[in-house]
Formats: sequence, C-alpha cells, structure tokens
Amino acid sequence: MCLSEMKENQKGLIQKINGDSRFVSRVVSMGLPPSSPFLVLQNDGRSPVLLYSHDTMIAINRKECMQIEVEMA
Amino acid sequence: MRTIALLGQPNSGKSTLFNALTGSHQHVGNWPGKTVERAEGFFTQGEDLYRVVDLPGSYGLTANSAEEMVTRTYIERGYADLVCIIVDAAQLERSLYMLADFAGVKSPVMLVLNMMDVAEQQGKKIDIQKIENLLKIPVLGFIASDLNGYPKFFKTLERAIEKPAMISSSRIRKFVEENADAKNVSVIEKLESLIENLKLGIREKFWMISKLLENDSLVCFEVRNAVGEERWSEIQKILDERGTDGGLLTGEAKYRFVSEILRDASSSCEKTMSLSRFDKIATHRIWGKFVAFFILVITLAVSMMIAVPIIAGCFGLQSVAEPLVVKMCESFGWWPSVASFINSVIVGGLAVTVAMMGFVFAILVTFGLMEDTGYLARSSYVFDSWLSRLGLHGKAFMPLFSGLACTGGAVCGTRVLDTRGQRLFAMVLLWSIPCGAKVSVVLFLASVFFGSAAPLFGVIYVAMIFASFWLSSKLFGNKLMPVNERVGMIMELPPYHKPHWKILMKTVGRNVWAIFKKAIAVIWLVSLIFWLVSYSKDGNVEHSVLYTIGNAIEPFTQIFGMRWQLFISYIGGIFSKEASLGVMSVVFASTNDAFSLISRNEAGANLGEMMRAVVSLPEALAFIFASMFNVPCVLTMGTTYRETHSFKWLLAIAGYYFAISLGLAFVVYHVALWVL
Repeated sequence: MCLSEMKENQKGLIQKINGDSRFVSRVVSMGLPPSSPFLVLQNDGRSPVLLYSHDTMIAINRKECMQIEVEMA
Repeated sequence: MRTIALLGQPNSGKSTLFNALTGSHQHVGNWPGKTVERAEGFFTQGEDLYRVVDLPGSYGLTANSAEEMVTRTYIERGYADLVCIIVDAAQLERSLYMLADFAGVKSPVMLVLNMMDVAEQQGKKIDIQKIENLLKIPVLGFIASDLNGYPKFFKTLERAIEKPAMISSSRIRKFVEENADAKNVSVIEKLESLIENLKLGIREKFWMISKLLENDSLVCFEVRNAVGEERWSEIQKILDERGTDGGLLTGEAKYRFVSEILRDASSSCEKTMSLSRFDKIATHRIWGKFVAFFILVITLAVSMMIAVPIIAGCFGLQSVAEPLVVKMCESFGWWPSVASFINSVIVGGLAVTVAMMGFVFAILVTFGLMEDTGYLARSSYVFDSWLSRLGLHGKAFMPLFSGLACTGGAVCGTRVLDTRGQRLFAMVLLWSIPCGAKVSVVLFLASVFFGSAAPLFGVIYVAMIFASFWLSSKLFGNKLMPVNERVGMIMELPPYHKPHWKILMKTVGRNVWAIFKKAIAVIWLVSLIFWLVSYSKDGNVEHSVLYTIGNAIEPFTQIFGMRWQLFISYIGGIFSKEASLGVMSVVFASTNDAFSLISRNEAGANLGEMMRAVVSLPEALAFIFASMFNVPCVLTMGTTYRETHSFKWLLAIAGYYFAISLGLAFVVYHVALWVL
C-alpha cells in the first residue's frame, strides 16, 4: 500500500520509494529510507500527510505519498 | 588564517552558531557565478584568525539544487581546513545523516551536537564520549544559543585543529555489502574498476561509487568526462539496471551506520507521539489558515505599533530640522540652494530611510520569532497548496502577505525562503503587492474621478494583481525555480522552541544596520537626482529642468495618455507614493511653493477639483492604472538591491514593472478614448 492510504495513528514501515533519483535522495535525506518505522500523525484525505519518524515531524504532499510504498507495522 | 566550513541540515542551529561566532564581522554576498547567497565571517581566538563559511543548509550532500551544489562542491574540493558538522541532538538519528553522507571525504572534521538542552528535556541521554570514541573525531555537546558555552566550543576546535581527524566510508561500504545480494556486491567492484583512472582528490573511491549509485548529477558528469564514452556507457548500463534502488541501498546503509553509532551512545524513553492540541489546529486545512491569518494580522498590527512612532518622530524631527538648516545657511551667508539641497536630499532622505527602517525592523523581528519558535513551518504547511501553483514554497506566504504593510520591509522578509531563486521570485511578486500608501493613492485618484465607482477599482486592482502573478510566473518562474528542481512539499515541521531573544535581537539589529547603509545610499542618490532636475530658484516648476524634460518628452508620454504633469507625478511615484500626490499638488494646484519630493506634501484640499478641471477621464484612467504597477518606492529599490546583491536584478525587476504599468496605461487610455 502507499503512504496516503495509511490512517491516523497507524504505525508503518517504509518499503520502497518510487520516483526519480532527486525525489529518492530527498526522501532518504529527510530521514525516511527503506525500513524506517513511522507513525501517521494526520491524514485528513486532502491536506499533505503528517508523519513522525526518527524524532522528526515531516509533511509530505499527497501526490508524493503515492510514490512511497509502506507496510503496516 | 584557517577556514572553517559549517555544514548542517536546516534547523540544526547552524546560523545561530555562525552569528554567535562572527558577530558583526561578517559579509554576505553571492558565490562567484552562482545565484546562491554566500555568508562568511571572521573571528579571532587567541592569536589565530579564523574564517567561517556558512554553507547553504541542505539535508545531505547530493547536489539537487543550486544551494546544494555550492555546499557539495565546497566540501568535496576540500576548500576548508576544518569542516564543522552541526546536528540537532534532539533529532540525532536523522540529522547525523549529514555526517554519514560526509564520511569518505578526507577533510578534517569535528562534530557539534547542538540543542543538548532540548534533547535532555525530551528525556534523551547522549554519551558524547562514546560517540567520540566510535567516530574517532572531536565531538562536542553544545547549546549554540547559550553564549556562555563558547569556551567549550573553542577548546574542541583547538583539539580538532591540533590533531586532524577524518571519517572513512568503510563501515558504510560494509553495510551496503551486507544488505545487498551477491550481484550487488559485484556491481560495486565492477564500478570501482571502471573508475580506476578517476582523479579522486580528497574523496574515497567508495564515496564516489555511492554518489554514482545515487545518480548524483555532479559525480556522473565528472566521471563521464574522466573515463571516456566507452567506459561511461558501461557504467550507465549498470546504473540504469539499478534504477533508484542504488540510492535506497546507500541511504539505508548510511542510516545503519548512524544507528550503530547511537546504539550504545544514546538512549531515550519511549514516548507515544501525537500532535499537540495547538498543532492540531495550526495544521488543520481550514482552521490552520485562520490561525495563520490571525497571527499575521497581529504581526502587522505590532509592526505598525513599532513603526508608526518611529515614522512620526522622524517627520517631526525633519520639520524641526528644516528651519534650523535654513537659518544656519543664512547665518553663514550660503546660497538658499544649499539649504534646499541639505533639506531635500540629506535631511529628507535620512528621515524617509529611518522612518521606513521601523517597518524593516518590525518585519525582521516578527519573522525571526516565527522561524525561531517553529511556527513558520506550520503556516507554510497550510498555505503550500496555494503557493505551489506559482512554484513557490509555502514559506513565501508570510513575506508576501506582509507586503501589504510595507513592500520594502517585506523584501527583507523573503530571507525565510531557502533558495535564492525562490527569494528573487518572491521579490518580483512583492513589487506588485500594494502597500497601504499605494492603495490609498490609487483609491484617492479613483474617487476623485469616478466618485462612487471607486470601489470597483479595488476589485479590478485585486484581479490584476493576480493576473500579474500569473504573468510573472510565466516570465520568471521557470528561470528562477527550474521545474526539474522542484520537489513537491516534503518538509520538516521542527519542534516548537522558546525564542532566543538575545541572539535574535542582535542579528536583527545587525541586519537593520546593514540594510540601512545600503538603502540610505540609494535614497540619497535618487533624491539628489530628483533634487537636481526639479530645482528652480524661484520655486516655480516651470523653471526646472524637469519641466523642460517633461515638455520635451510629452509627445512620447502622450502615447500612454500622460501629459507632462501626470508623467512627472508618475515618476515622483517611484520615489514614494505620497510623493506622487505631492507632485500633483504642485503641478496642478500650486499649493506648495517649493517643489520637493521628500517633504510630505499632502494632497491639497482642492487638488481633486483642480485635477478634474484639467485631466480628462481617459487620462485619469491611464494614470490610475499606471500607478497600480508603478515601482513601489525608493526604499523598496534600496532593500531589493541589498537583498539580491545584484544591480542587474534590481534593474530587471524595475524595468519589468515599468513595462507593465506603461503598457497598461497605453491599453487603458486608448480603449477609453475609443469607448468614452
């Protein structure tokens, strides 16, 4: 499943990041490489998804969330 | 002299450290040939002089944007004698990624764990000594905002210089190999043999390989040039097969490297994280915007409260100073023109500049506060969807909105944006956002000529501002913010912090002074030009150079529907919006005996009547529309010059708005002639 399908307060693990290398390096350097655990803080279905990982709150646009494959933890 | 490069992710406290170290001994300019801001400063410690280079903040060393390219190039060429990596102790695992990405560059390095106090409050225990033992480089636990802790910093610095230490990428290589299947391992060996002939400089071979795997544009370019087309096509084939997996592989290995360091050296109590009540509102799709508007309105109100007394005081002093200057000149037996020069150019220019610095100060303080506390990121989050359509980051909302208070001050507020392209583009947009003075001039003129239809002009004005945004994004957007460099919003929302008042006020004070120095030079220069062309011995406009010029070019300005009086008022509007009304009072109503742009000429009571008698409706329309997109004011020109560090860009933006405003006047005038 992709990140935007996760619900609020669900925990997950990053599996794979799709997209060009620019996007991948951005996501990785912000602290979300594969196998990072994270918690969804907010996902209202319209605004960017807010998640928490490695002590950091990160906001990711919905379109970009579709490119991030995750699994529930 | 030794050079220290500060390397760290955004929000790591890098600029706090930079400002505390260098104080007022800093210089901000552009990197040669690049549109990226370069900040460097100096400090002395003992007998040694140090140069500090504040590298543009980035999350890693992969070169994706102009800023990141500058940082990366500086690091990999080894320009610094010592690299000081600053990380946020409260977000240690993530921010140490920068260190992992750096590992493999053979530059002496020291590590500063900043915000130890915040980490402690969060219940994190960090064993600095253990980290130092593991990494074998000097490590310091630090609070950059606490000025008492700096002796400790200098001690660590001394250690780092006496015994240079580096970090190797061999652990990361090991993790990559562990994580990868046999095929991947052979890929790395294959790549290594393919780049055999490459001049590595201070970079380890594996560092280059990992950047190749990440498809880093700089390394790919370099390798391609060095190994020749045949080998490059082989490399390319390997990389294409891997796709973006290579970047994921190295990324994961770098984080494993970080976790290995932290495994024994840090512990934190497991806390369940959830959004704070305030954040729930501040990041809400609808309420978040209300909160942001509310905070902005308060901000603007506070800015006014700070700025208005300064403005009033300045013009009060000016009215006291002027008669004194006249008397002084009389007693020395100087010509009256000397008094006029001193009053109009020196005193007047100073008064205008100091007055407007009130706004600059207020905007810088409030923006600094928002950035310091972490709220700015929340407001960017809620407005990102609006601004991303223009290619801008959500952060641009705050400076753009504050343009309604003072364009020149808001230009300084664009500092919150991360890339210079974004800043320049925000400045372009800001010039079209009217400040209170501009609105009042436009509405005054509209009500003089069109009475109760004036509000309609307000509506048209707003629509045209948005149209100009669209035009600007078509003309400048792509050049300043290349589409392939834009990444949809992936943004960190930093934890809330208490503001660091002392450092904030010091930084703001320094900036205001620097801006003042640049602005006053521009304002004096422009005032001088205006004074020279508008001076006449008897105060009669018709005896000034301006009148002669105005008359001479009238056939040309008529094309835009502006007779000489109107065109001179339009030119006066470049100085300040009030000045354009002042000029009109002089040329239409002869209310003032001295033709001065700087003394605050209020529109005379009968100005409206006099103008209605002389100016036709098409002419009035042309002038109103020209005023809407006229160059904002001389202070905006001064701050734009100071913030872009580029005279070329100042001229480009000014030329752009001349073209829009005159073009608009032309169209409106001729359509009106035809219709009315």
